[in-house]
Amino acid sequence: MLTKRLIACLDVDAGRVVKGTRFVHLRDAGDPAELARRYDEDGADEVVLLDISATHEGRAPLLEGVRRTAEQLTVPLTVGGGMRSVEDVAQALRAGADKVTLNSAAVAHPELVSACAARFGSQCVVVSIDARATAPGWEVVVRGGREGTGRDVLAWAGEVVQRGAGEILLTCMDRDGARTGYEMALTRAVSSAVGVPVVASGGAGNAEHVRAVLQDANADAALLAGILHDGTATLAGLKQALRGAGIPVRQ
Amino acid sequence: MKLTLLDTGAGNLHSLGRALESCGAAVAVETDARRCLDAQALVLPGVGAFAPAAERLAPVRADLAQALRDGLPCLAICLGLQLLLTASEEGPGEGLSVLPGRVQRLRARRVPHMGWNAVEGEDRLLALSGLTTAYYAHSYLCVLTDMGAVRAVSEHESVRIPALVRTARTVGVQFHPEKSGPAGRRFLAAVLEELRP
Repeated sequence: MLTKRLIACLDVDAGRVVKGTRFVHLRDAGDPAELARRYDEDGADEVVLLDISATHEGRAPLLEGVRRTAEQLTVPLTVGGGMRSVEDVAQALRAGADKVTLNSAAVAHPELVSACAARFGSQCVVVSIDARATAPGWEVVVRGGREGTGRDVLAWAGEVVQRGAGEILLTCMDRDGARTGYEMALTRAVSSAVGVPVVASGGAGNAEHVRAVLQDANADAALLAGILHDGTATLAGLKQALRGAGIPVRQ
Repeated sequence: MKLTLLDTGAGNLHSLGRALESCGAAVAVETDARRCLDAQALVLPGVGAFAPAAERLAPVRADLAQALRDGLPCLAICLGLQLLLTASEEGPGEGLSVLPGRVQRLRARRVPHMGWNAVEGEDRLLALSGLTTAYYAHSYLCVLTDMGAVRAVSEHESVRIPALVRTARTVGVQFHPEKSGPAGRRFLAAVLEELRP
């Protein structure tokens, strides 16, 4: 049986891991390669490295950080931030990424998702969707939450899967860094609307939040950042709690 | 030990190459499939799509298939394993037919089969490495005419996926040992030990 995954997320700005709230108010949390190795040893099922200023600065992710991080890992690495072309994706893969996430560029040019899936395979293409609550439903936001798009999250999720996305990384911007729990209704809605795995992101404060999103909102994986960086929780501790709740996780 | 790693042109050979090197192998990445024929040991990696990879193998298909049947040591991972079969639903092109069978789309609610899954079966490589859970990322699976070659399986929803397959001196895995943590690295080391000429 496929286990549920815990994914450690490294938001990187100017070469350092940072963590903010609602995508702003960033605080330094360390060196990406060092943290990646620590989380790998502690039981992370995957690591995600997001270059959070790349899109804003109009560039692809910094490959040196990708290389250094990939070298430390024995588990898969997903890289995101600022990739706008098939060639940008190819470079991230050559630098050591196993998967890439497309976000703002996919919204601007949805055919990029199709092109990457055809060239590299769906299993390598993650579409990252940043959502904020509207009435009714949820709207896709881009450029690190700086811009609304008017697109409905469920419709957009359906479209990117149609185009070949192999996974959706779903972040509720309203919950980012808030530690009040994942956005359950949003996660459940996207998870039942698409056939690809859904990674829930934004809002983890404790083990119960993680259990709830995996068990009650049917997320396939949970993304964790702030509570790992500041030591509020450990991957080993979270996994023990999840096993106790009957959720299959990797030892 | 010298390994020839065939670059099928579709992405990340970095982690596989490094993982093999960390197990003590010297890795030569080759884009020309003809170089596979004079390999000491061959690695068919697991990234990309069936059609372009089959096309890359096309010029040497018959000779490489014969070499594998004659005992060329080979590790085939994910797509690499699928290339050992005859054909794939994923796209046109002919595989090596070293393992008679077809590659079919995984018929499950959640596809790709992405993440860590239990590997169940009896094989010395699993016993030596202690690998019990491995990392998968695929949407197609091998349906073999002779299931006797299958040494271990993983189950996704109700589908039984061949996880570890053997024929001649070829070891084929649907999972990614190079992404499967420390036990995955030990698995690679055990494979290399076994494939040593």
